[in-house]
Amino acid sequence: MWTPPPAKGTRRLTRLALLTAIALTIFLVEAQIPVPIPIPGVKLGLANIVTVYAVFVLGCGDALLILVCRVFLGAVFSGQMMTLFYSRGGGLLCWLVMVLLRRVLTRRQIWLCSPIAAIFHNLGQLLVAAVMLGTWVVLAYLPYLVIAGAASGLFTGLCAQFLIHRLDAISRS
Amino acid sequence: MNRRTAALSAALALAVLLCAGFLLWRQSHAQPGTTAQIYQFGELVEEIPLDQVTESYTIPLEGEDGAENVIEVAPGRIRVRRANCPDQVCVRQGWISDSSVPVVCLPHQVVIQITGGEGDVDAAAG
Amino acid sequence: MRQHALPAIALAAALLLGGCARTQEPASNQIFAMDTVMTLEIYGDGAQEQLNEAVGTIYRLEDLWDVTSEGSEVWALDHSAGDWVDLSPETADLLAQALELCALTGGALDLTAYPAVRAWGFTTGEYRVPSQEELDALVPLIDYTKLELEDGRARLPEGMELDLGAVAKGYTGAYLAQTLREGGVASALLSLGGNVQTVGAKPDGSPWRVAIQDPDSGQQATLGVVEVADQAVITSGGYQRYFEADGETYWHIMDPDTAAPARSGLRSVTVIGSDGTVCDALSTALFVMGAEEAAAFWQVHPELEVELVLVEEDGTVLITQGLEDSFQLTQEDRTLEVIAP
Repeated sequence: MWTPPPAKGTRRLTRLALLTAIALTIFLVEAQIPVPIPIPGVKLGLANIVTVYAVFVLGCGDALLILVCRVFLGAVFSGQMMTLFYSRGGGLLCWLVMVLLRRVLTRRQIWLCSPIAAIFHNLGQLLVAAVMLGTWVVLAYLPYLVIAGAASGLFTGLCAQFLIHRLDAISRS
Repeated sequence: MNRRTAALSAALALAVLLCAGFLLWRQSHAQPGTTAQIYQFGELVEEIPLDQVTESYTIPLEGEDGAENVIEVAPGRIRVRRANCPDQVCVRQGWISDSSVPVVCLPHQVVIQITGGEGDVDAAAG
Repeated sequence: MRQHALPAIALAAALLLGGCARTQEPASNQIFAMDTVMTLEIYGDGAQEQLNEAVGTIYRLEDLWDVTSEGSEVWALDHSAGDWVDLSPETADLLAQALELCALTGGALDLTAYPAVRAWGFTTGEYRVPSQEELDALVPLIDYTKLELEDGRARLPEGMELDLGAVAKGYTGAYLAQTLREGGVASALLSLGGNVQTVGAKPDGSPWRVAIQDPDSGQQATLGVVEVADQAVITSGGYQRYFEADGETYWHIMDPDTAAPARSGLRSVTVIGSDGTVCDALSTALFVMGAEEAAAFWQVHPELEVELVLVEEDGTVLITQGLEDSFQLTQEDRTLEVIAP
């Protein structure tokens, strides 16, 4: 399996910037598409393809940097600073779970890592919402968000796995 | 497929199945509530006994920076009729009439929930 | 795979079965006894047998205490022309407790008020307003101290009449609750015609929520909700049985001093406590006393361990301090006041 050579300095910076830009673009484009299910917090989360890719290919630290930048810039560019709190809570918990899962799962199991991480992303978001809104009643959404997280996580996970597979193929040719 | 993968996928499937089962159970056990509570920024701003509402009316709820949710109260049910939040999730959720799921507007920090009130007593003395 | 699947399946099964146990339906029955509708709900293993036994007990106690039925012990007492009457242990026990409560309340509760209840027509439904002379003649007949009780027998002077209506349902609830607890029942709800007796808490561990009727707005309106476990909630009120004549309302709770409906400024009294007999007796006695005297009575008798909800004629709701956390007023236009110990 192909892994990019450890990058330093400008090369690393460029790669991080490129991936952040890609993630941000996906995020902003997705924000324009209305979600068919009217439950707060439910969305496809396509930008997570980049996060999953980064965790498995570049490493945990770099993935965190991309995630934090994307979440912040996403809030700025979409003009919804409120989402910053929710995304940050969800994103950090999601990242943490992926870091843990990466120790036990290989690249061939990204399809499994991603839905679990997505569920924790939604859980984190909900906890932040509970604190921000000052009421635990929002936890009534948890079952919906677990199911939605599993479904969307499976989709983005398969996308990421497909992507890595293709990049492997390219690098080998 | 190794053991770890199998165990993790089983746990994932179990979690999804349990949630789906719980949702079905909750749906079949939902009791119509009677009192709607509207929270903004974590504080109770309005409490409405829905069983005493005879005609529909709206409550405009203003937040920070021009944020607005127009809440419509009707006999036995309540919804967000209009809002200028970016995602419109609260509007599209529509009417609620029981305590199973609240209406939440995350961007404006508004929560509408229904509690059993006097609807869920076990016995009456008198 | 197999090694992990097994525990997973076991876990799933445990969760599902656990869920079933929690939502288990009670064994329940609705019966007509003691002039009212009774609903019994018993949870847990062996609930059905316990339920059948409880229903049998209710009918047995009703047969002992039905003032209108010739075979009952109360009827025998009322028609013994001053002779001793042998009593069953249950009747002797109830009479002993009830007489103590009559004394404790200074006669505000009087078991011998039956002649007055009958004079006003509450026993037959043929309501009438007796003349003042007739009432004056009845007053001397109302005196619980004339009832003698010793060694499982009792006697009542000729002409006087006893009725256990003010305590029978409370005692029955307490008696059933005790039997159920001894039979290992951890959770049951007994609603004996508006006298609510609970055993334990709900199966899920949360307290029972008992609605207290609003005496002023029809049969179904709720004044408030009180949360209880292992306690009785018993209400007496002028709205329960009454008739109107010449623009006046007359109800079934008699003032032993006047042989006429008690007018104390109260609309209803609810007593919450662990002894159903005490709650039932006090709900009647405190209604006769009125708000001020009732509050004073509560203050000097903390040993009874009861809490009160008093509703005054102007709609004011008075609760005792112990209810501050467990009572929730649902008629929010009412004034709520707290009686301090």
